Amino acid sequence: MIVFAANLLAPDAGLIFWIAITFGALLFLLKKFAWGPITSALSTREETIHESLAQAEKALAEAKQLQADNTKDRREAEAQAQAIIREAREEAERLRTEEVDKTRTQIQHLQESAQAEIEREKDNALTSLRQEVADLAIRAAEKILRENLDADRQKKIVDNFLGDLSKN
Amino acid sequence: MNGRKTPVDYNMMIKKASIFLLFVQLAFMAMPPVVVASEEGEDFDALHHSANAYYLDFSPFPKVELPRIFVVQYEDGSYGLELFRSTTSAIRNGHYTVEVLHEESGADSTATESHSTATELGAATTDETLDDDAAIPLSELEGHLLAPAGGHIVLDLSISRHLFFAWLSMGIVLFIMIRLAGMYKRGIGRDTAPRGLFQNLFETLIMFVRDDIARPNLGDKSDKYLPYLLTAFFFILTSNLLGLMPFGATATSNLMVTVVLACFTFVITQLGGTKDYWMHIFWPPGIPTFVKPILMPVELLGIFTKPIALAIRLFANMTAGHLVILSLIGLIFSFANLFGSGAGFGVAPVSVAFALFVYLLELLVSFIQAYVFTMLSALFISMAIQEHHHDHDEAHHESSEHPAAHA
Amino acid sequence: MDPSALAYLGAGLGAGLVALGAGLGIGKLAGPAMEGSARQPEAAGDIRTSMIIAAALIEGVALFGLVICIILAIK
Repeated sequence: MIVFAANLLAPDAGLIFWIAITFGALLFLLKKFAWGPITSALSTREETIHESLAQAEKALAEAKQLQADNTKDRREAEAQAQAIIREAREEAERLRTEEVDKTRTQIQHLQESAQAEIEREKDNALTSLRQEVADLAIRAAEKILRENLDADRQKKIVDNFLGDLSKN
Repeated sequence: MNGRKTPVDYNMMIKKASIFLLFVQLAFMAMPPVVVASEEGEDFDALHHSANAYYLDFSPFPKVELPRIFVVQYEDGSYGLELFRSTTSAIRNGHYTVEVLHEESGADSTATESHSTATELGAATTDETLDDDAAIPLSELEGHLLAPAGGHIVLDLSISRHLFFAWLSMGIVLFIMIRLAGMYKRGIGRDTAPRGLFQNLFETLIMFVRDDIARPNLGDKSDKYLPYLLTAFFFILTSNLLGLMPFGATATSNLMVTVVLACFTFVITQLGGTKDYWMHIFWPPGIPTFVKPILMPVELLGIFTKPIALAIRLFANMTAGHLVILSLIGLIFSFANLFGSGAGFGVAPVSVAFALFVYLLELLVSFIQAYVFTMLSALFISMAIQEHHHDHDEAHHESSEHPAAHA
Repeated sequence: MDPSALAYLGAGLGAGLVALGAGLGIGKLAGPAMEGSARQPEAAGDIRTSMIIAAALIEGVALFGLVICIILAIK
């Protein structure tokens, strides 16, 4: 109700009325048309960022896991290959020794049998020789007995015989 | 493309504009006393400048009077709404009269005299013979406006200077925020990074209110109260900054405006009050029974002192800065009056330098007070909505458990 | 003496006392807060927030006094 200028602290019901109504309206309008979209957009963006971060982290972890798996697999494969090679080498070695041993035994075997054959042949020869000698002795004795005329002759005969014998 | 170059241009523009505005502002702050001092040889009144009025001050250009709206009770007891384009028009066409108040004297002692002045003025205006420059110019009148014979003004709904600037800042906030919401709705800032100075600036402020004011105090209930806190923050900030513009007035330097804002906080606080909150007021647990009746009125008083302090803090901060600037500028003219114009010119650089400093301080205070009002509102609300499940002994323990209280 | 002179005197003295009290209060508050944030820079944010709140409360009381002084001065 003042003409132009008011007191600094004077109560003013009209102003209170207007400000209360318009501030309430402002609050309502902003809440409905501004703060809702803005805050929801901000939180959507934050969620997106959070999600992307989480995803990236997950992907990174997965990649790391994959890498670790790969390394492990490779190492295992390598180890396996090594084992296979070692095994093969051992097998080959074993086979070789076995073969050598077998050959050696065979050779030995052959040797032994040859020896035995030789022994047997020798025995046979000796036996037959002994028989021959015995036969000869008998035949010589027979001749001596038949030509039992003179001693000289006898001696000559025996000598001849022995000479023949040694010639044979 | 040229997207890289625009921010630089913006910065330069803003820097230049702000420096320019600062000088313009200081120049115009110095203007009113010049006018007053030179034309009338009067002391100029800093309080008068901060107070509400029914015109927009564009001095040295003419004042623009604002419309007057009255709820009037007529002689026969009926009510009516009267609308005038300006105060002058109310006096000229509405047969309103002026009860002139004389300085340095009580209204009672001069009642008869003032009444006679009023009737005289009224009589003169009815004749339509009174010119603007006859007797006292209407715009220089100080006093109460009286309704035509027999009736009296029940409610003065006039658009005053502070109301005008409050509406202006509301309009600015509404315009900015709805535009910003439009950008977010279009997906800029929601699916992509915020774009441009405008969006980045306001998003920073909004995020500040949400992350530094609402969430630390209100925790998971912050979403419910965030709209109010944001509205209060931006309205107060815009009003404070409008007061620092040339020809501007600070709506928040009016106690009525801050009281309404504090009332909003008060109502929201009480509506959100939990059972524990009311129990702590009327029957505080954890203290001897005979103390409880003594504490109750104290606690009850505490409910009201909080918003009152809120209102007065904002009002006094915003008023004080302007008063200090005007007083510093006024010092020039006081010195000129006391010791001659030479002293006035001598004091001027010092005064202007100090006024510039206070002006910058005001800029800081504008932000701090918007922050403090919102912060304390959030704090009061959080005190009301907090739920204690245990006795007071464990309240300490509980608060340390509550992550929101310390986040 | 004009009684309003006393009111002006009271307002002036009151404003000075208010400034004194508020200055002391905020000084007492800000000192340990600075010390605290120097000792624990990681808690500086929390300390700043609570400091501003406490400063605002002190300032609020001071402004009550100031308003009384303004009322006295413009009566």
